[in-house]
Amino acid sequence: MAYLKRSSPTLRETLLKIYCAEKPVEIDQHFYEFGSIQYHIKCSVSDTNIVYVSTSTLLETQGTMTLKEISSHTYEVIKQIAVGVIDIVDPPRLGFQLTLKLHLDNMPSGKEAIKIITSISEIQAIILSCQLKEMLKSLNFQDDSQAMNNNNNNNNNRLIRIVYHPSEPFYVFKQPEKITAVFPMNFRDKSDVVIATSFFQELVEVGNQKEMGKAPQCSWSPVPPYQLRGEPVQDLTINSGFVSFDITSRHVKGKRLDKTVWNLLNFYAYVKYHIKCSRGYIQRRMRKRMDSLVKLLNNTSLEEEVPQKENGRCKYIKELVKVPKGKLMMKHRFKEMSRRVKISRFRIKMNGCARFRFNQRWISLPKFSTNPSNKSYTKLD
Amino acid sequence: MANPLRLYLACIKNTLEAAMCLQNFPCQEVERHNKPEVELKTSPELLLNPVLICRNEAEKCLIETSINSLRISLKVKQADELENILTKKFLRFLSMRAEAFQVLRRKPVQGYDISFLITNYHCEEMQKQKLIDFIIQFMEDIEKEISELKISVNTRGRLVATEFLKQFM
Repeated sequence: MAYLKRSSPTLRETLLKIYCAEKPVEIDQHFYEFGSIQYHIKCSVSDTNIVYVSTSTLLETQGTMTLKEISSHTYEVIKQIAVGVIDIVDPPRLGFQLTLKLHLDNMPSGKEAIKIITSISEIQAIILSCQLKEMLKSLNFQDDSQAMNNNNNNNNNRLIRIVYHPSEPFYVFKQPEKITAVFPMNFRDKSDVVIATSFFQELVEVGNQKEMGKAPQCSWSPVPPYQLRGEPVQDLTINSGFVSFDITSRHVKGKRLDKTVWNLLNFYAYVKYHIKCSRGYIQRRMRKRMDSLVKLLNNTSLEEEVPQKENGRCKYIKELVKVPKGKLMMKHRFKEMSRRVKISRFRIKMNGCARFRFNQRWISLPKFSTNPSNKSYTKLD
Repeated sequence: MANPLRLYLACIKNTLEAAMCLQNFPCQEVERHNKPEVELKTSPELLLNPVLICRNEAEKCLIETSINSLRISLKVKQADELENILTKKFLRFLSMRAEAFQVLRRKPVQGYDISFLITNYHCEEMQKQKLIDFIIQFMEDIEKEISELKISVNTRGRLVATEFLKQFM
């Protein structure tokens, strides 16, 4: 299936690395994205200005069209990304659908180059979009009467099965005045099924609102639409129902076609991303709630009771005698001053005994009794 | 707190106050062992009659008491599939972290969603009244959390659906 971002981050990074390298770089990189999209980048030291980018995807489209090979229209679109920079190699590298030859010496400098490299890294998105665009165009909205007859005669006549990912096929078929895209939804985890089901219900509800009148009509049903009769059983045995979008001529006009196609391609990814985020959100909330419960339980222990009380009491007393800082300073000064005055008026002055002068009455020496009966021990015989 | 829930919780609180009079009692079967009698159930004379408090069929609380331990098992309301999944997820999450709670049982009693085991040692270390308050607060919080989570997941789904459909316009 397609992905939410159009450009491949790894492809973009590698191409930028080659483009910005001061010394010639030897690269022979082969990598996969999203399990089904394959890339190969080759750049040799002997000719640093030439880079080969090959790509392939899983295409098992069935129905009226077979799109194992990339159409000429797609080639044209790819060439138009940067004229003079991109050449399409025919035949492509073995095991790949498309091989591009990039002339880095023809690349404009500065921001333009980064723009072109980003567009080149969107190559898979372009291929996938072009195929679906062609399909939607071929199922044009003009021959409704013919479509009606076809539907009556043979339901599978105009049904197209699109597989961009082995476990995520979807169907497109023509109906009077509209094209319907049906997504059989399947999830491994039971909690994913529940979150997805609630999302589909919300999707249908939101789609029925007046404000969303211009968006495609959306429906969700646990049973497959009758147009899918005769399709492989493994595609129809799913656990989250079938989501259908009715695309009218309005959605494939002009620039909207690109948006519609990209949204349909990304529907699986979109739902999965929503589920992933929801699960993360639930986990965060649970963690937070657990912390608050643990804190509550920790407050029940007896050990913490004593220091807490003391702290509380101190705080309370402090609050009671709370004096503004300025006033406190003044009070302290007055106290110190009166003490000095008293000391200066006293007749006999002894160093070190100043602190006993006013507190003589408080001084009391401990009495040591000589009575032997008060002894705390008794002699054992 | 809603009125029916308040009554239910008040009943549980009163029962817990009456039941939580635990004392140290060594095991009668194994010498120098001290085990929660409510778990082993070896001597019937050390056990009290269990009390079952039901708010409705889906929501109930079982309080089993013995001389040195008390077991509280809770069944939480699960109105629909989403609530069921959220409850299971949340209570499993808590049970997995039972060591942080001390009084929480790792595995709930059969037929219940979560269980607590309070021994006489817990009563010595903690304040009895606060421990009861914790159980009540726990029940309240779980119900609140699950209903909030449900609302949040649905609201989130609605927002995501709106954004998705807006892209077509």
